[in-house]
Amino acid sequence: MTEMATPPLSRAEPERHPAPPLTDASAAALAARARQRRLRESVTIIGVQLLIALLLLAGMYALNATAGNLTMPHPMAVLNQSIKMWSDGTMLRALGETLTVLSLGFLLAAATGIGLGILLGGFRFAGRIFDPFVNAMNSTPGAAFIPLIIVWFGLYTEAKVVVVWNAAMFPILINTAAGISNANKDLVEMARAFGATRANLFWKVMVPDALPSILSGLRIGAAVSTVGTVIAELTMAQSGLGGLLIAAGNRFQMDRYFAVVIVLMALGTLITALLRYAENRVSRWRLTLADGR
Amino acid sequence: MADTEALISLRHVGKSFKDGQVRALQDISFDVHPGEFISLVGPSGCGKTTLLRLINGLIEPDEGDVRVLGKRPQPGPDLAMVFQSARLLPWRTVMGNIEFALALRGLSRKEQSQRALALLGAVGLRDFADAYPHELSGGMQQRVGLARALAVEPKVLLMDEPFAALDAMTREVLRGELLQMWSRRRMAIVFVTHDIDEAILLSQRVILLRPRPGRIDEIIDVDLPEPRWQHDPRTLPAFADMRAHLWGRIHEMARDGAELEELAAAFPDLEPAQMGRQ
Ligand SMILES: Nc1ncnc2c1ncn2[C@@H]1O[C@H](COP(=O)(O)OP(=O)(O)OP(=O)(O)O)[C@@H](O)[C@H]1O
Ligand SMILES: [Mg+2]
Repeated sequence: MTEMATPPLSRAEPERHPAPPLTDASAAALAARARQRRLRESVTIIGVQLLIALLLLAGMYALNATAGNLTMPHPMAVLNQSIKMWSDGTMLRALGETLTVLSLGFLLAAATGIGLGILLGGFRFAGRIFDPFVNAMNSTPGAAFIPLIIVWFGLYTEAKVVVVWNAAMFPILINTAAGISNANKDLVEMARAFGATRANLFWKVMVPDALPSILSGLRIGAAVSTVGTVIAELTMAQSGLGGLLIAAGNRFQMDRYFAVVIVLMALGTLITALLRYAENRVSRWRLTLADGR
Repeated sequence: MADTEALISLRHVGKSFKDGQVRALQDISFDVHPGEFISLVGPSGCGKTTLLRLINGLIEPDEGDVRVLGKRPQPGPDLAMVFQSARLLPWRTVMGNIEFALALRGLSRKEQSQRALALLGAVGLRDFADAYPHELSGGMQQRVGLARALAVEPKVLLMDEPFAALDAMTREVLRGELLQMWSRRRMAIVFVTHDIDEAILLSQRVILLRPRPGRIDEIIDVDLPEPRWQHDPRTLPAFADMRAHLWGRIHEMARDGAELEELAAAFPDLEPAQMGRQ
């Protein structure tokens, strides 16, 4: 608790300066080695991924050969169907319909979820009042509301958007509210000590601190939106990719069915990747922290 | 009623928590004059942080009166705080963190960046203006915290164990820098520490607190030659005397509280002050 030595209280100069810059040559060598290591890693990962994809494909062939076309379509048939559906515009039209419902529902859910989440997270009193209702809504499966939504809004695009909005809003809301109400207390006190007004405290400390949490809410919301869209398309007026899916399934056209499934997979993957990218950009400081750079 | 020339004046200040179950502070009275450097020392839980919060105006006293510049304290331009951990906004750069405090003071963008740069120069971090806090060492982060507090040009600088989390070497360097900064600007400093040596080394007055509830045990004037970053006082007999005296008082406190300590060890979950009430 006390230091025994008594050096003079002078300023030790070395601590005041940044580390001396590396010479160009050694810095370049270091960077090259790091690049090489990263490259080797990515090559390995992509290689294994390709191998798994090939194994899956081989599995499809095997299943098709042993169990027949109904259990598993021939991969070439799936490819042919895909080409046909893309070239005659069926797939594009369906994708357009699906994307309309999905994006409208998701944007609506994001706007209302973030807005309400900020309110409920920021105003503790309101948060406490609405907590049980939000929880009840969040823990009810979105599909449970479909009959009611059909009665209220009909069977077409607007009703499907409502289904998606209803399913995706609550995870976004809950994540936003949690992010705000769990904002770092130390930083809040710091800002208060420097005389931050309530508005400043909110917009300059609590909301930025909650941003990673809001973004993971959006990511969950997007996944839920995709599911909600397909369910709405299956159960309400058949349309979009979901509609194609059930039509093909009902007629046991498994090659057609698989062609649609592949598009849905790609769509879901793309959306998640986009949101993860946004998340990384916004919370880059947090990630580098986790990397332990 | 308050001394007119005092910058900060506390009169019979008391503060409780948990609806009065935890008595954090009781009957605290002292003044801090402009340009004075005082230290608050005392065992953990004796209310040092609470006292700083009261002076900053973050919380209000239950009893007595806290005045800063003759008024009830309000977080704002006259006061600035340095915390034990630097408490920097991780999503802002070093520069952005200092500008944050300056923006709260209503400075224009241009003034903000000018002054932030000047302060970074003063703490030797100009090259790190665009770095993010996690890219700095603990000592460097603490320097940014200090720069942020100094940037607002406060009349009172409140410091809550600012060097406690640092290694001995960095702490030594930063103490020297703090003393130099203080001798140039002459704001009043209220410095919380539980390091007796540090308190004597830095301050002109040491206020020793005793716990359960937090009260003033003794106020000691430190009359050592200035400036202290040039003449290290730790070799002087006066320093050793003061040190011995303060440790003596603290050991007495520990003896008085020995029974309580035993109880505290047996029931670590209980609030010390709760047991003190018996
Ligand atoms: N917000 C709070 N709610 C309840 N009790 C509190 C609160 N703040 C402080 N206390 C209590 O008041 C007493 C004094 O706390 P304080 O943090 O001021 O001590 P301290 O002297 O700063 O201790 P340390 O040296 O460990 O930092 C402690 O018993 C603590 O439990
Ligand atoms: Mg404390």
